[in-house]
Amino acid sequence: MFALAAASGSLSCTSDKEATSPNVAIKASKTLGTTHGPTGQKATPTSALELTSGEAAEVRAGHHTAALAWHESSDFTTAVTAGARDEFKKLGIQVVAETSANFDAAKQKSDVETIEAKKPSVLLTLPVDRVVTASAYKDAARRGTKIVLLSEVPQGMEYGRDYVNLVTDDLFQMGKRAADALAAAVGDRGKVGYFFHDAHHYVTNERDRAFLETITVNHPTVEVGARVGIGDPNQAQDEANGVLVENPDLSGVYVTFSQPPGEGVLAALRANGNARTKIVSLDLDEPLALDMAKGGHTFALIADKPYDLGRAMAISAAYGLLGKKAPAFVVGPAMTVTKSNLVQGYRESLHRNPPASVMNALGK
Amino acid sequence: MSLRTVEPRRYVVYVAFLLILAFFAATLHDDGFLSQTNLLNIVRQTTPVTVMAVAVVFVLSAGEIDLSLGSVVALSALVTAYVMQSQSAFLAVAAGLGVGLGVGVVNGLFVTLLRLPSFLVTLATMGLVAGLGRSITNLESVAVENQDFTNLFGSGNVGPIPGLAFWALGAVALGQLAFRHRRFGAHVVATGDDGVAARASGIRVDRVRFTVLLVSGLAAALAGILYTGRLQGASYTLGAQDLLTVIAAVVIGGTRLFGGEGSIIGALVGSLIMGTLANGLILLGLSSSQQLISQGALLLLAISLTLREPRGETP
Repeated sequence: MFALAAASGSLSCTSDKEATSPNVAIKASKTLGTTHGPTGQKATPTSALELTSGEAAEVRAGHHTAALAWHESSDFTTAVTAGARDEFKKLGIQVVAETSANFDAAKQKSDVETIEAKKPSVLLTLPVDRVVTASAYKDAARRGTKIVLLSEVPQGMEYGRDYVNLVTDDLFQMGKRAADALAAAVGDRGKVGYFFHDAHHYVTNERDRAFLETITVNHPTVEVGARVGIGDPNQAQDEANGVLVENPDLSGVYVTFSQPPGEGVLAALRANGNARTKIVSLDLDEPLALDMAKGGHTFALIADKPYDLGRAMAISAAYGLLGKKAPAFVVGPAMTVTKSNLVQGYRESLHRNPPASVMNALGK
Repeated sequence: MSLRTVEPRRYVVYVAFLLILAFFAATLHDDGFLSQTNLLNIVRQTTPVTVMAVAVVFVLSAGEIDLSLGSVVALSALVTAYVMQSQSAFLAVAAGLGVGLGVGVVNGLFVTLLRLPSFLVTLATMGLVAGLGRSITNLESVAVENQDFTNLFGSGNVGPIPGLAFWALGAVALGQLAFRHRRFGAHVVATGDDGVAARASGIRVDRVRFTVLLVSGLAAALAGILYTGRLQGASYTLGAQDLLTVIAAVVIGGTRLFGGEGSIIGALVGSLIMGTLANGLILLGLSSSQQLISQGALLLLAISLTLREPRGETP
């Protein structure tokens, strides 16, 4: 879930020209807000991170090492890792350890403790849980490891003292893009469902808030007729079944992230024999992408660019090693992926082609 | 059974542990594997699994299984952390242990009174308890700031030795005493070896089954409390991946999956093998996928060496 949340988080919009689904153009509406850090920090785009050739040479001369402690294994973390490794290679930083906690906070604490035995110069990580992993990160920070965080700040950690900076997606843009896409999917009228993440989670909460604000203010002819909090993402299908029975006239639904809740909603639509409701969700995900390629329920997926996030984290780590003040809160861009730009979406977001099933469905 | 205990293959697990240590020591001597901090980390990281493994030796030896372990860990941890927000640490720990006691009693009663298989009973309570864990804090994690509690239950040290090591040693000592030096241990083994014969010889088989499930629940609750102390907080995800690790540790250590034979010291070594493998494979610099592949292959090798039944003994 965390992965999904982070994966879906996306970076700032690259332009106002949005993707189109078959015969339906998505118009970018007015941006009503911006992404702020968990404690209100102003966002800096990933493109603003820069090292001079002299700084890069200084980092290279340091023969530093790095470790990566992820929350899970997925397309998202694979792409972040690839971006980070490529940038580290340029900077002469050797990656000495990589772990995946499988969403287990206790394992992540153990992972970080183990990694610290190798005394890495820098640690790139996405904390599974801001509360129960905090002690591990504080210990690592006390030992002098430069920590760059992805999408979550452990409780009690302070920017500049305990960690270099926080890198994440442009969360507001992701939610806004989802709203604009859903409005286009339903022809800017009718009733839609809003499946939001009903848990205290910075990434998903920000995106959900941006969606709701944009759809209500910028698309007043679209009625948010059903609001469904998803506490347990694995139960989304059950929640959706109930909502679809109560609201058979939904033209579209927004789902907070793709896997598993987006997949659950898709399954519920199919199980209910519903052929008209459109889905807009966040993250590239094979079942939803395949459904989209086949012209099914899925109208658009809002994707981020995790490869770029990985690069930005590696550059941020170099800032930390140089003692150069890094922007506290860095965000990367988002993109709207529809059937018409599905292949390009995968390549830009995950740096790979869509899965074979999706390519086959697209006739490629 | 006496013949089995002197078979050389029973000692393979100890040799395997030493070989694993030697391998990582040789390959990772420059990477901190042998540092005191790292070795003590392995002890810290494995203690909750060791505590549960001791109890699971009794459960498996009695021919039962407890699938609710991981769920009890999470619920116990959350209840402890939650109660501590408004009550004393003593009451919080009592409440956490009460969770294990309660689940253990429920498991035991269903297995003994209704004659239901422990696999199905604990499968049901696993889901029930996991659901309770998720609902009581609405999936939110709960922080613990009581330093006396965290020092005693996971974060503190006695000199250079982590306090968790004493919890592990205490559990192992208590388990060894009950399993090898008290009548109860013999009754557990007899029950798992042949329940009908055990009953015929006067052993109160149902009481044995009830007790091992009760002990299992309490051990899982204690593991949850130790996690809470170590992590200085609790989350509903705690323990979710522990069940298979615990069973693997116990079985690698020489306890028969189908009852009738067990080893407390073997379980301790099994737990340390699991922890050392996880630790060493990270330090080798393998990717997450490579770690999983290596761990699986090495476990397959370990169980081939320690669990292979001689011809004619296959149950």
